[in-house]
Amino acid sequence: MIAKIGHLLLSGAFVASIAALILYAIAAVKEDKTIEKISNWLWGIKGVFLCISSVALIYLIMTHQFQYYYVWNYTSLDLETQYLISAFYGGQEGSFMLWIFCGFIVGLGLIKWTRKPYRAPVMFVMTLTQMFLLSMVVGWDLNFTQIGATPFRTIAQEMPNAPFILANPDFVPSDGSGLNDLLKSPWMMIHPPVIFIGFAMMTVPFAFAIASLWTKTYHEWIRPALPWTLAANLSLLTAIFLGGYWAYETLSFGGYWAWDPVENASLVPWLLGTAGIHAMIIQRKSSRAHKASLFFAIMAYVTIIYQTFLTRSGVLADQSVHSFVDLGLYGQLLAFIVVMLVVGVGFYLYRYRELPSPQEESKFLSREFMTFTGSMLLFILGFVIILGTSSPILGKLFVANPTPPDIQFYNDWSMPIAIIMAIATVFGQYLFWQKHNWESLAGVLILPLLITSVATVLSIVLGDVRNLYYMVFIFAAWFTVIGNASVMLHLLRKNPKLVGGTVTHIGFGALLLGIIASSVYTEPLLDQRTANYNQRVLAGDVFDDEGFPVTQQIEMFELEINRPKLINNKYMVTYEGFDVSDSPRPGQQTYRLRFEPVDGGSTFYMDPVVYPMLTSSSADNIEWSVDPHVRTGWLSDIYLYVAGSQYVEQRNEELERQNRRDPMMPVGEENGESTDVQNIEIHIGETISAGPFNFTFREFVPAAEEVLPENTQIGIRALIRVEHEPSGNAYDVEPLFAVYNEDGRSYTYSPPLEIESWGMNVMFSRVHPESDSIELTVHGLDENFEEDWILVVAEKKPFVSVVWLGTFLLMAGFSISILRHWKREKDTQKRSSAKS
Amino acid sequence: MKPKLIIGILAIVGFTSLLMYNFGNSISTYVNFEEAENRSTSHVIGNWDNSQEYGFSRDTMQFSFHMKDEDGNVRRVVYPRPKPNNFEQATQLVVIGEMRNNIFHADEMLMKCPSKYNENPEFELATGGES
Repeated sequence: MIAKIGHLLLSGAFVASIAALILYAIAAVKEDKTIEKISNWLWGIKGVFLCISSVALIYLIMTHQFQYYYVWNYTSLDLETQYLISAFYGGQEGSFMLWIFCGFIVGLGLIKWTRKPYRAPVMFVMTLTQMFLLSMVVGWDLNFTQIGATPFRTIAQEMPNAPFILANPDFVPSDGSGLNDLLKSPWMMIHPPVIFIGFAMMTVPFAFAIASLWTKTYHEWIRPALPWTLAANLSLLTAIFLGGYWAYETLSFGGYWAWDPVENASLVPWLLGTAGIHAMIIQRKSSRAHKASLFFAIMAYVTIIYQTFLTRSGVLADQSVHSFVDLGLYGQLLAFIVVMLVVGVGFYLYRYRELPSPQEESKFLSREFMTFTGSMLLFILGFVIILGTSSPILGKLFVANPTPPDIQFYNDWSMPIAIIMAIATVFGQYLFWQKHNWESLAGVLILPLLITSVATVLSIVLGDVRNLYYMVFIFAAWFTVIGNASVMLHLLRKNPKLVGGTVTHIGFGALLLGIIASSVYTEPLLDQRTANYNQRVLAGDVFDDEGFPVTQQIEMFELEINRPKLINNKYMVTYEGFDVSDSPRPGQQTYRLRFEPVDGGSTFYMDPVVYPMLTSSSADNIEWSVDPHVRTGWLSDIYLYVAGSQYVEQRNEELERQNRRDPMMPVGEENGESTDVQNIEIHIGETISAGPFNFTFREFVPAAEEVLPENTQIGIRALIRVEHEPSGNAYDVEPLFAVYNEDGRSYTYSPPLEIESWGMNVMFSRVHPESDSIELTVHGLDENFEEDWILVVAEKKPFVSVVWLGTFLLMAGFSISILRHWKREKDTQKRSSAKS
Repeated sequence: MKPKLIIGILAIVGFTSLLMYNFGNSISTYVNFEEAENRSTSHVIGNWDNSQEYGFSRDTMQFSFHMKDEDGNVRRVVYPRPKPNNFEQATQLVVIGEMRNNIFHADEMLMKCPSKYNENPEFELATGGES
């Protein structure tokens, strides 16, 4: 019932958006206020329908109605409330609904604030995008084709031919399949809303650009569009940051950025949006770059749709860690991108000849030229990244079955572009606030250049930078920070409200510094032996069994319990054991590693976690996942996870035995009682091996009077050293042997001594005077005994903190600019309404 | 105006061709084990051959297994890291690395896991036999 209503209202919203689209078009052409009002109402009705059906979906999720595919697929009974709510947008259908919802709210803002003559055309474009998005979730089954996939479909509708559905059409699963454990993170809860707010707001400059082409008013549109673009960029940046931070803290690839297609999908619109902001700023200041600002405003949105197409149509299925479900929306998504291209780029080309162009070219040393250079570079970088991400399609130009490009492709192109950009920001900022010629510019740049040089030299020396290219990169990054900072200081004295741009650029410079430090100078944490081995691999001195040189370095180390290892000549690291607990995830192990810096400094602990993935593990197969521990610091982070452990290995072996239902148990486990007692006859000074253990009889030690029974005739202890050979761990035990009289008879007394961590008991059971030896009785001696061990992958990443700092500065700069431009737009509106 | 236009066009053409050239070089094509013999780096798609022994050796610090490529060639693959979490479940493996003396030395390994979104036989098991 609820689902029916939800489904119907989604269809209703779709129909309302089509009606609104037509009416907005009429209102725009006829400039009819009444029709525009009616369309606004339709916009509102569409939004209300969407909200009600969203609530319906959330209700189904909260009440665990697993007969609905979406509910079954993304939730389960044991999911916490906050993740139940976020499961609403956990799947593809729900995330479209969230996107539409954000667009709806943005549209309400536009209805309220947009001035004439843009209002109707802007809302027309907004409605057009909403209509396409709604078509993805209506789930209409026309006989010849299917339009969209509704989140309200039942399992029976989703898989009508499954055996359990054929057997019982009303089958309701007792529990859902649950949310992927990796996504159970507060970061992942807020990431999607933030990104969709960004997507929705990025529609606004697109809509204004189209409206300006429509109404042939090419000057005015950027004033209302600029604050929206800035806000869209702030949202996208925040979303990128959240995604990167989550990846760094949760995943085991060990970084915040991997040039993954889905990451690129959020970066490219941001780059183009930023290019658009630069062009709009020139246009506002100097009445130039009309073509560029229109073009970038259109492209920023087109890339959002293009990347949506790439990631959601199944084209990238083989290449991305983000597994988006292929809902069969390929055709619809393709139509979406084609229509946006035609409406955007087509209209742009159609009007191209009419667009104003500058009377004269700008000089090299002008804010126009520098800012324009910045925006072109951002565009080029975006273009390069799109090219790389499109490899499954465009790669076919080169090879039949293309793989994704090497990561190197992205790095090779982004580094030089970033260097030129970085330098252009400083020139641009100086020229932005004051006219300069070469001489005067050189004059003001002397001090910043001096400081930059000092900072660069210090970084090179302290960081031991050997690569010339990196030196140039570091110089450019420092120049950006210091050059922009000096402009900022100047502005702070004049008018602090103007500092937005400089703060953003300082953030950009800091980001570059953080990126180069944390990516190029990340070093694996290793013990001395592994490090030496890697040295020899590098030198080509290691050969495998067949005599081929080994080229792969080892980037992990093994720790045995309570045996400290010196890591990177810097830390004594000791594995102290692990705890198994059922909270928050059943069966998770928390490992405890003690780090003692050898050069002083305080000891700290790292607690990486290994846990069974709930969604993909079953009774006969556990899929283990790791939760790295990141210890953050101002200078460097330590990133560490447990890649393997004795516990996990034993659990896997147990499962394997169960699965095989093997009646043959390994020796010593089934009838262990009889085999785990061993008698060892040993002479003084002798060493005897039993399994992996060595027993050494050092000497006799006199026994203290008070521990002996009464009437003792002989009482003696034997000093025995028990060593576990593979690990080298050893214990000294002094078991006691005594002979005493009671009621005229002799008794022996030999209490067992326990070696707790090995589960072993040692008894001094007999003396053989004739052969000058003694006999030890050992219980719990396991032939296959192995000390607890773990495999650790750890990295030291310098200055990740600076990456975050740079990101925050970028956000702060954008925020300051939003406030400034928004206030100016409001003031203009007030003035114009006062006039009319 | 004219010479500047020409320079501009040349710059764009030059840039684009360099970019496309570099892009063409940085992507490669998926090959089978036999073709991989003669290449420095190869991407090979295939499946785990579970009839032979596999596992992580703590002596060599390597994970090794046998993989059957799409044309049915079986080769031993060594990977200098622990066994990836979801190795056994993978419906498809992509190994990236170098073939040397009939052993594939993988630097990177990607696993394609069965999508839980497909109709999968574990469904009933996971939900308890209510039907």
